[in-house]
Amino acid sequence: MITAGIDMGAAFAKMVIVKDGELIGKGICKVTLEPEEAVRTVQELALKDAGVRPDEIQRVGATGAGRKLVKNADVVVTDVTADAAGANYLDKAVRTVIDVGGEEARAVKINEEGKVISFAVNDKCAAGAGAFIEAMTRALELPMEDFAKYSLKSTQKIPINAQCAIFAESEVVSLINEMTPREDICRAVHDGISDRVSSMAKRVGIEEKVVLIGGTAKNIGLLKSLEDALGMKITVLPDPEFVSALGIGILAAKDSEN
Amino acid sequence: MIKDFKEVYENRHEYAKDWRKKYPDRKIVGYMCSYVPEEMFYAGGALPVRILGSHEPQNVTEPYIFGMYCPFSRDVLAQGLLGRYDYLDAVTTAYPCMHLGQAFDSWTLHVTPKYFYVDMPNKVQTPHALPFLIGRLEELKRELKDWTGKEISDEDLKASIDLYNENRSLLRQIYEARKSVPCPITGTEAMYITTGNLLMDKQDANPLLKEVIEKELSRPAAKDRSPTRLMIVGSENDDIKFMEMVEQFDAVIVVDDHCTGSRYFWNQVKLGNGLIEAVARRYVERPVCPQRDYPERQRLPHVLNLAKNWNVDGVIVIQQKFCDPHEFDKVALLKFFESNNLPTLYLEFDVTVPVGQFKIRVEAFLEKLREDELW
Amino acid sequence: MEKKYKTTPLKLWDKAKEIRMNVYKEIAEAKEQGKLLIGGGAEGLIALATGFDHAFLVGEPYGASVAFLYKENPAFYQQIVEACDHAGYPRDLCSYMRNYLGSLLLDKYIFGGPFPKLDFCLQAGFCDTHSKWYQIVSEIRGIPYFSLDLLPFDWEISGESEKTKQLKREYITKQIHEAIEWMVKTTGRRFDDEKFIEGVTNEFESTSLWAKVCAANRAIPAPLDEKTMLSFYVLAVLARPKKEVVDFYRELLAEVEERVANQIAANPYERCRFISDSQPPWFGLDLFRVLESYGVVSLGAHYTFALSGGWEYSSEEETWNPARTPQERGIELKTRDDAARALADWWLTTGTVCRGVRHSGAGKIKRVMDIVDKWHVDAALIHLNRGCEGTALGQMDIVQALLKAGIPTMTFEGNHADPREYDEGRTFARIESFMETLGLKKIY
Repeated sequence: MITAGIDMGAAFAKMVIVKDGELIGKGICKVTLEPEEAVRTVQELALKDAGVRPDEIQRVGATGAGRKLVKNADVVVTDVTADAAGANYLDKAVRTVIDVGGEEARAVKINEEGKVISFAVNDKCAAGAGAFIEAMTRALELPMEDFAKYSLKSTQKIPINAQCAIFAESEVVSLINEMTPREDICRAVHDGISDRVSSMAKRVGIEEKVVLIGGTAKNIGLLKSLEDALGMKITVLPDPEFVSALGIGILAAKDSEN
Repeated sequence: MIKDFKEVYENRHEYAKDWRKKYPDRKIVGYMCSYVPEEMFYAGGALPVRILGSHEPQNVTEPYIFGMYCPFSRDVLAQGLLGRYDYLDAVTTAYPCMHLGQAFDSWTLHVTPKYFYVDMPNKVQTPHALPFLIGRLEELKRELKDWTGKEISDEDLKASIDLYNENRSLLRQIYEARKSVPCPITGTEAMYITTGNLLMDKQDANPLLKEVIEKELSRPAAKDRSPTRLMIVGSENDDIKFMEMVEQFDAVIVVDDHCTGSRYFWNQVKLGNGLIEAVARRYVERPVCPQRDYPERQRLPHVLNLAKNWNVDGVIVIQQKFCDPHEFDKVALLKFFESNNLPTLYLEFDVTVPVGQFKIRVEAFLEKLREDELW
Repeated sequence: MEKKYKTTPLKLWDKAKEIRMNVYKEIAEAKEQGKLLIGGGAEGLIALATGFDHAFLVGEPYGASVAFLYKENPAFYQQIVEACDHAGYPRDLCSYMRNYLGSLLLDKYIFGGPFPKLDFCLQAGFCDTHSKWYQIVSEIRGIPYFSLDLLPFDWEISGESEKTKQLKREYITKQIHEAIEWMVKTTGRRFDDEKFIEGVTNEFESTSLWAKVCAANRAIPAPLDEKTMLSFYVLAVLARPKKEVVDFYRELLAEVEERVANQIAANPYERCRFISDSQPPWFGLDLFRVLESYGVVSLGAHYTFALSGGWEYSSEEETWNPARTPQERGIELKTRDDAARALADWWLTTGTVCRGVRHSGAGKIKRVMDIVDKWHVDAALIHLNRGCEGTALGQMDIVQALLKAGIPTMTFEGNHADPREYDEGRTFARIESFMETLGLKKIY
């Protein structure tokens, strides 16, 4: 059976093609002011990558903020369920999934079957996700990859205001003006986000094995800060930005069996 | 000396643990509001220590306390959850406000199970508040006896009252000296003294306060010109970094109205009809926090008097983010200062202070004050 | 999906509406009828005013009414909230109060005309806000103001001594006398003790009856859903010392008991029973309809059940039951002092929401878990209400306790009376996720 899983995020659309439980192709594109176009584009990219024709797709699953834009979806679930399904599929030992996306961060606690026990999503006054890091890369005039690497070279911890992302941004500007080493600022940004994300994650009760997924999971600086904040090892699942799409792709197949 | 208070402030847990070694049979009680009648606990042999935050971002309180509650209350709870106060035998509070009250309740669930809740009247202006509190403190005396196994005698309580009164009197002397021009100590130094004092046995603090009075009030002032004189007003405040930042400009903070500052020690226990009544009266009549300032506004005239008597050029209102009681008073307070020609700067605080942004605001405020002086 | 249970609409809708309208009519006509027009918190000792011919403009329901304007008249709503913002009152303060102050500062009553001219304010310290709210009102309007300090009992689990409880009873009783004397002096009017006794007696009955109505929701299927209950609980909030509210709740109880006996459900698809916490977002009650579409019945909340009192703790059964009134306990109220004592005791003993905005911890957790047990609750939806820090007291610890007990729990941030702080779309999306975790799909 060949299924497609689409994760229509606020910033990026991701799609995977799954054949008999194997990921055989994927695609990603930015979501612009015309999101339907992103649905079409990401489908084209994923199908091309998989070497599969559209009519070979037997079932489609959709998730993400824009999931209702996927008109031909057979199965539609929210990100929380998709995260759980994707993480569980890749590793049955996972018990806590942390998804730091562009606009939203989530923590999902799951059992051995991938069923959601509890979840938390960032509320106000705990804001902070990938978009903030991106803004800081522009402030520091660094590409994202370098921003992450710089952070690992930091030699001192500088606290940034823990609550308000707007205030935090102002603080970063102040640090730049005070000639604070870029490495330390990069780390401070990651530490700030990690504090907020780990705070939220503790609400669901952290249980190992903990995994990090979503667009920002490849940020090694953020990963280190999160591990320090939680005091435990965090595994980044392969193709972390596609885990949610994979989850819904798998669920689409399971749903057909039912 | 001032440095001794700084040392205690920066090493508060070590101080408490050393005290425990010196007095292994006595207990340590953490408290969360300046309305707690410390004299009672001390008379029972316990050391009351104020629980403060550490001004560090943390990630441990979100499962237990609402993000909309003030940063201070969450910082306080974090200290307990991080295990820094594992030496406490009990915690206590008088009703502070909903936020710190929540920190207290969560603390009793997750950190220190033994607690004393001292019901403190909010409407201190009613004649019925005093008899209530007298009765409640008599009950507290009994509760402390059950806990320690030791009855608090009149001698114990009198000795405790005397010790605390001496402490208050010495702090008042230091504050009185700050009326001078130039001011003999900086606001930062005063904050180390008052905050360090909260964390200490008054047996230890009082001799150090005397040393400050004898040796440090008469030294040449740190700022021998006439810097701009400021007052700070707000809730709890031990934001040393902010004080240092303000005073790096040509300014000195000469007085405050904070619950960890002057409100803590301002008035004495005046002996009269009975020891417990005297203690109760002290707490009913002390300078109020906004929480308790109704129906008449007694706080505003008191704060204005401080400003006038300490010859203050301007006021910085330090508003802890989300702090409801102080936010209720905000409009009336600012209007009152304005109608009394006292310029104010209103700043919202969090656990960490955005020094860069605050510098701009403070500098601009000082320039404005000096403009007024120039013209 | 087939309906599991029968359902019929409640017969008493119109009567409830009529009583609400009467309250507002009284306020509108008070001056021309020579009555006192008193302002103050509904959650307070409003029964004290019954000794006078009066109408009472209670602040919290008014604040909620302003919030409804958000959809009905957005421009007017915007004017009101901006008036409060521009006056300098921070956004995180109680949103009832902010709406009320905005309306007052604009001198515009949302039901038409200028803001009513109050004779004085009578308040009680139900929470930190209440103590200060009417201080501000009295300053803006230049009118007299009296506030009583309510020091609630701690939760039973704390082992608070009988001596401390007695001190609190005395403290409140004495303030009640002080308040009455103050009102007489301020108004120059006679205080009718008979009417006061009648008023407090009605208060005990109406809140106890409401508690019985809520207790009926323990039945499976639940005869009432929370959205419906909110239309009825507000009568106790607005006018519990009135005879018509007592009569209404008596009739309502009879109707609800009949529904229980005949297995008539609020939600004919009932398959999952929720409780909530805190006030709902008043302008966003569609939330409950969304829940219903999944076969969920929201049974109520500690807030809905007990805001105005009415529940007493049984140490033998270790649970809370609808409180027995003094009359039921054979206590006759003959004098002003009898009534004052009984009122103080009623608030202290049965006012568990008032208690819960000052005391949380193990006691408040126990109260909520008792509801979970007795109402056969399957899951919880907790409103992290940015507009009411009192009801937020202890909420996160309660969430932890629910999760530990295996009760699936979802939180959402919002504000009971400030729509600017509530993201309906995001909340509904989160509910969708939560329903997935419960294995529930939409029925319609």
